[in-house]
Amino acid sequence: MTTIHDQIDELLAADLHEQLSEAERHELHMHLVECAECRQLHREHQLMNTMLNDTFEEAKPDLKFEQRTLAAFRDRVPDRGPGMMRFVVIAMRSRATQIAAIAAVLLALVQTGRMITGEGNGASSRQEYVASAVAPKAAPPPPVALASRSTNRPAKAATGSASGIEAAAAPAARLQVETADRDVAAEASTVNSLRTERAVADAKKDNSKTQESVDVAAAADAEASPAPARITDNRKLVRNAQVDLEVRSFDEAVQKITGFAAEDRGYVATTNSDKQENGKLRGELVVKVLPENLDRFLGKLRGVGELKNQSLTTEDVTKQYFDTDARLKNARAMEQRLLEVLKRKSDDINDLLAVEKELGRVREEIEKMQGELKYMDAQVQFATVTIQLAEKDMDIPAAFLLKERAQLALFTPEVEKTYNDIKALASREVQITNATLDRDNSGRVSARVSMLIAPEESDDVIAKTKTMGRVENFQVQTERVARGGEGMSENAKTERDKVELNISLSRDEQEQALQQTSLSIRAGDVNDRTKQVRTLSEKNAGRIRSSSFSRDPDGREVANISVRVPMKNYNALMKSLDSLGRVENVSVTRQDRPNAQIDEQNAPADVSIQVYSQGNIVSQNTGLLATLRRTIAQGAAALMWSVRMIGVALAFFAPWVLAFAGVIWLVRRIKRARRERANRVS
Amino acid sequence: MDSAERQIYRAAIAGDRDAFETMIRTISRPLFAIAYGILQNREEAEDAVQDAFVKAWKSRWRVRDPEKFPAWLGSIARHRAHDILRRRRSVPLDDDLNQLAAEIEPDNAERHAQVRSALATLPELHRSAVALRYLEQMDYATIEQTLGLTNGALRGILGRALGALRKELKPALAAMS
Repeated sequence: MTTIHDQIDELLAADLHEQLSEAERHELHMHLVECAECRQLHREHQLMNTMLNDTFEEAKPDLKFEQRTLAAFRDRVPDRGPGMMRFVVIAMRSRATQIAAIAAVLLALVQTGRMITGEGNGASSRQEYVASAVAPKAAPPPPVALASRSTNRPAKAATGSASGIEAAAAPAARLQVETADRDVAAEASTVNSLRTERAVADAKKDNSKTQESVDVAAAADAEASPAPARITDNRKLVRNAQVDLEVRSFDEAVQKITGFAAEDRGYVATTNSDKQENGKLRGELVVKVLPENLDRFLGKLRGVGELKNQSLTTEDVTKQYFDTDARLKNARAMEQRLLEVLKRKSDDINDLLAVEKELGRVREEIEKMQGELKYMDAQVQFATVTIQLAEKDMDIPAAFLLKERAQLALFTPEVEKTYNDIKALASREVQITNATLDRDNSGRVSARVSMLIAPEESDDVIAKTKTMGRVENFQVQTERVARGGEGMSENAKTERDKVELNISLSRDEQEQALQQTSLSIRAGDVNDRTKQVRTLSEKNAGRIRSSSFSRDPDGREVANISVRVPMKNYNALMKSLDSLGRVENVSVTRQDRPNAQIDEQNAPADVSIQVYSQGNIVSQNTGLLATLRRTIAQGAAALMWSVRMIGVALAFFAPWVLAFAGVIWLVRRIKRARRERANRVS
Repeated sequence: MDSAERQIYRAAIAGDRDAFETMIRTISRPLFAIAYGILQNREEAEDAVQDAFVKAWKSRWRVRDPEKFPAWLGSIARHRAHDILRRRRSVPLDDDLNQLAAEIEPDNAERHAQVRSALATLPELHRSAVALRYLEQMDYATIEQTLGLTNGALRGILGRALGALRKELKPALAAMS
């Protein structure tokens, strides 16, 4: 009940507007029957509803309102879009058109990418490649064309793989080439043409060159085996083979090869052998065999040792042979005619001489050509097999040479004397190879001596040299050099070579002290004490390295003396210094070199002694005036510092102040402009 | 909203001018009611509606959901009307009313002026809701859609608006009864 009463305005309005549900309406009307106050409100709402309806009725826009609105819209937004554009806009609204447009854009992108990378070209060229490789299979062209193709193709494959541009296509191409070669070989056996023959041989050569593997060579050999059957008598072919073999024993191999040659009606033309330092033999055999037996012979060679390399070449000299033969026939005819001229016995002696001369030339030519033909016959009659033989374990060294190189650095008080002493060591076993003595302007002296020492003397000489001064550094480098091979060997002897010794000498002044001490002595009379220090150091076998003396305005005197003594006298010197005055500020630094074999007793120790006096008790920087001066100076400095800080602060704030002022000015300006516009409108 | 309407709104958003003009025809009266509710002046309300359509056409791409297109148009019209109202602040309301009142019969004129001044005390949203109801006789759901209100919110708004009006018009109502 209370809910309805509270919401009476809302419910009454909704009732009048017929927006209540049936249940709500029923409930409201039940309430109105009970509640007089709400009934009153109901009446008021009804009246007000009528009033509002009346009031708004006259405010309703007239019938042409829509027309006016539309006209105003058309007027203010002219339909500028061209028909095409509008069509596109409308078309783009459909899902299918959108998908098609996206697909078109993607396709265009892909095509552009292809054009940029040039991918399309690569693919097409590969297709051409495969097609050309397959072509001979489909329709066998004349043998000449076939031959030229098969010789060209391996070269093509080789350049392809070398340039790397067609790297992807190369393996496929090579595969195609190999199959094509096999086709060529099969074709050749039926056609039985000379050119094809040569092409096969060339192809084999290329194969073994590009791949250099024994397996391929063997395969080539196997493929070449039907070749002898095709050799006909009227062809002049020169066949050569090159074989590299590794054998256990050279002599045994030579015997075997000689036996094989005899079996195949051949002979060993030349042999040569070369004994290495490690006792291994290496050599070359040239064997002549009948061409038809060449392949069988090569097969037998495999049994002799391990085949390292094999190549087979065939040279066609037919044309050359018959050319020479024809020229020979011509020359003989010429000779015949010249002889006839001679027989006629002409009277002119000059003619006779000219004919004689010509005859001589022609005969010389005939002989030359006969020689050429004979040579070619010999070449063709026998195939040449060059066999390189090398015994196994060629690399094992025969001996080792132990090379020793020693570096010795010495400190010595008198470089020149030591230098001469070392040079005096020279004898038959000790050879000085190089000796230099340097002395620069400041009197610094250094020397260098290099010598070669016989191995048995070397230890003695080095020990003797070491005693000539204090050793700063000694290095020995030993190198084992293999002779007659590069590998390792258990049995090879080891010999000692001459020892190379390089000595460098420098004055002991340049040596770093083992121990460095610094101390101060306060004394009344600095000059006197300094003199005492000098006598004390001399007593302890020390040397003054440097000394200085100074007096400052306050009357303070300072003397610095640097003394170097041997370590064994160090303690005595330190003790005696105590007697000179109060020793202060003692600091000792020791340069210990672990594992260094040095003569510690004689190693140098440096002592820096500062002798100073107290000077005036009262400094000039005290007193009323000095204090006043300092105070004013510090005050001025403080003022200057504050001024600088204020400057920094100003520089920091100024941009902010400017920015704020600008913003405030802008805001005021805008406000004023708005106000003015409002006034103008009103 | 039926599917045909949604289709028209979608096309209008996509830039189809015919669709937009169709929509102007159907929706200009409710927009007028909204603007009139705020401005209480027919000419100004008409201007506001025209401005609202031009502005809507220019920035139609901002609307993602065609369902909300009417509400978005409603809000543009409301803002536009509000701008006009603010600009004419200095113009006395009474002149306009008196001028209108003189045209119609005196008794009614006085009553209408009372209603107007009572309406002027309501908040803008309430005035728009009342105008939509009495000018266009729209049902509550359509009004809610046009004003972008949540479901069922209008009943409370109208209830409060009419309650306030009733209190304002109490003397006139008493005289009438």
